[in-house]
Amino acid sequence: MLRTLKKLKYSVRVMLAKGGGQPETINLHGRPTVVSSGGEGPTFVYLHSTLGESFMWLPFYQTWSKSFRVLVPTHPGFGQSGGFERIDTIEDMAWHYLELFDALGLEEVILGGVSLGGWIAAEFAVRWPERVKSLWIADAPGLWVENEPLPDLFRIMQDRNKLRDVLFHDPTGHMASMIIKDNPAEEDMLTAYQSMTVLARLVWERPYNPKLAERLYRIQCPTLLVWGDHDRLVPPAYGEAYHRLIPGAKLELIKDCGHLPMFEKEGEFVETITRFCTG
Amino acid sequence: MQYYFFHLMPWPYLPADFDERYDSAWVWLPNSLYDPVKGHELYKEYINTLAYADELGFDGICVNEHHQNAYGLMPSPNVIAGALTQRTKQAKIAVVGNALPLYNPPLRVAEEFAMLDVMSNGRLIAGMVIGGGPEYFNYGVDPTHAREKFREALDLCVRAWTEPGPFVWDSKHYHFRYVNIWPRPLQQPHPPIWIPGVGSLETIELVAKRRYAYMGIPYFHIDVFRRVFAQFREACERAGYTAQPEQMGWGVPIYVAETDKQAREEFEPHFWYFVKNLLKGIGLTPPGYTSPRSALAILKNHHNFLYTKKTWDEIESGVYAIVGSPETVRQKLAHYQKELGCGVVLTGCQTGTLSHELARKSMELLAREVLPKVRGSQSAH
Repeated sequence: MLRTLKKLKYSVRVMLAKGGGQPETINLHGRPTVVSSGGEGPTFVYLHSTLGESFMWLPFYQTWSKSFRVLVPTHPGFGQSGGFERIDTIEDMAWHYLELFDALGLEEVILGGVSLGGWIAAEFAVRWPERVKSLWIADAPGLWVENEPLPDLFRIMQDRNKLRDVLFHDPTGHMASMIIKDNPAEEDMLTAYQSMTVLARLVWERPYNPKLAERLYRIQCPTLLVWGDHDRLVPPAYGEAYHRLIPGAKLELIKDCGHLPMFEKEGEFVETITRFCTG
Repeated sequence: MQYYFFHLMPWPYLPADFDERYDSAWVWLPNSLYDPVKGHELYKEYINTLAYADELGFDGICVNEHHQNAYGLMPSPNVIAGALTQRTKQAKIAVVGNALPLYNPPLRVAEEFAMLDVMSNGRLIAGMVIGGGPEYFNYGVDPTHAREKFREALDLCVRAWTEPGPFVWDSKHYHFRYVNIWPRPLQQPHPPIWIPGVGSLETIELVAKRRYAYMGIPYFHIDVFRRVFAQFREACERAGYTAQPEQMGWGVPIYVAETDKQAREEFEPHFWYFVKNLLKGIGLTPPGYTSPRSALAILKNHHNFLYTKKTWDEIESGVYAIVGSPETVRQKLAHYQKELGCGVVLTGCQTGTLSHELARKSMELLAREVLPKVRGSQSAH
């Protein structure tokens, strides 16, 4: 009952936020690239996770849009964004964002992302540090930590209960059942398959970039690492590894939170990042 | 009509509580369950059985490639085929097939197939496969490029067999300064190419366009074969020719005994071991391995897959296996091979835990009392 009410409440917030951001399709050298934007202020680019949460303007974008001009691009291969045929590695994703920022005339941005999005942000920042004003990375893969092997998401996803267990601190909570539905519609399954295909291309053969660790020193801007203290997919040890390798970085753990802080601990997550990026 | 004898080389010694304890016979089934001492005896007897198929006059014998599983103990079917070249005289040796994207460089396939062709004096049938979903977990090869790599590697092999070397090869996934395989195949221009498939349109189109042969993998309802061969014939028409029966192979387990009753009694428990245990996990599909639409079609077709079957009635009505007296098997085989219009039947008499002795008895009855009477039957198409 309580769970149903909470779901309803979130749906209402989604409805209210919906109009805050406008999607636009940019022709990036022939590749359609969807970018949603809303708000005014310093440019703040959010890079989404493999969930593909850029498909609509969600409440947490709306909150940020009170402080920033928020841009939420959809990665190549996700949703309606094209160009997947040119993506073979995570470096290609970083190049895609260089081209997108050039096309949008963005000299310098606040850059961040969750999970896959956070990894792309890190790969961008080591290559073009001068384009990043401040950086935040949440629950992101990209590195390899000895004795903390990443679990096999592609095996886990065969069972939706196990998937909720690995993604959420509280797999019985209302957000867990909203994000990972028990009986997804056909369209949702197709979308998920498409998203997981992009992830598979990037991580199947090696779930990290062996060059990233030795390049992280190049990041010179203020950097915040945000991690769910119960992230079972990319454990906090990975946050600690980023923390060690990025000069002057700060690490904040979110209590009782799994891999997807923007859904499981939205208030705390949004506030932590806003505070860091406005401070 | 041609009849090929197929052997999967299953592991028959899974524990009785396998189904409760393990979620898969593939990829992560602990290999402590494998016993190499028993394994030695199995290889010996399985190879004896394959060689016996040659003596009995089967047109060919088939081996295939699977990794890290209890379903089939041939991670390298080419090793078994190498042994068979020395143990057989007449039968074609069909390796169906090598999973091209798993080989780096795929020239290895062109070389080993050329070796087998020369060693067997031109009896090789070269099967080329994308490889099942579990293999991408096994070998850690990116599944999202599987189909691209398959096409490139297939072209590479055919060119390596047919064009004088050395030559330069350049494609998206492969680059070679020197393509110049030694030995070259004995059959000219190259060994026949068979491509096994489970019904994806992408594969049907490719095989039809190139005039290779499409081998329908067993374990599906007869309706699936009806659809697949109809689609194949249409694809050949679109490519400007009429499909030949020998381009279509139907995979179906067959078991023959003295009477219908005896056949079912001897066969059924071993078949269920195969269905419940060895097929568990075979359907594991990594994202990107097929197009999203194909992935959805596979999911929707799940009820036509043998693993979901629970009763013998379902097995019989869906023709997941043909089991009975010589007369019963003759009737059913004649009926369905005619209806499907296929020119090749790929059959395994051995399954699951079935003993070598019973497998050979069934092969004898099939070869002596059934096949001579159905060989000449005409296709309906």
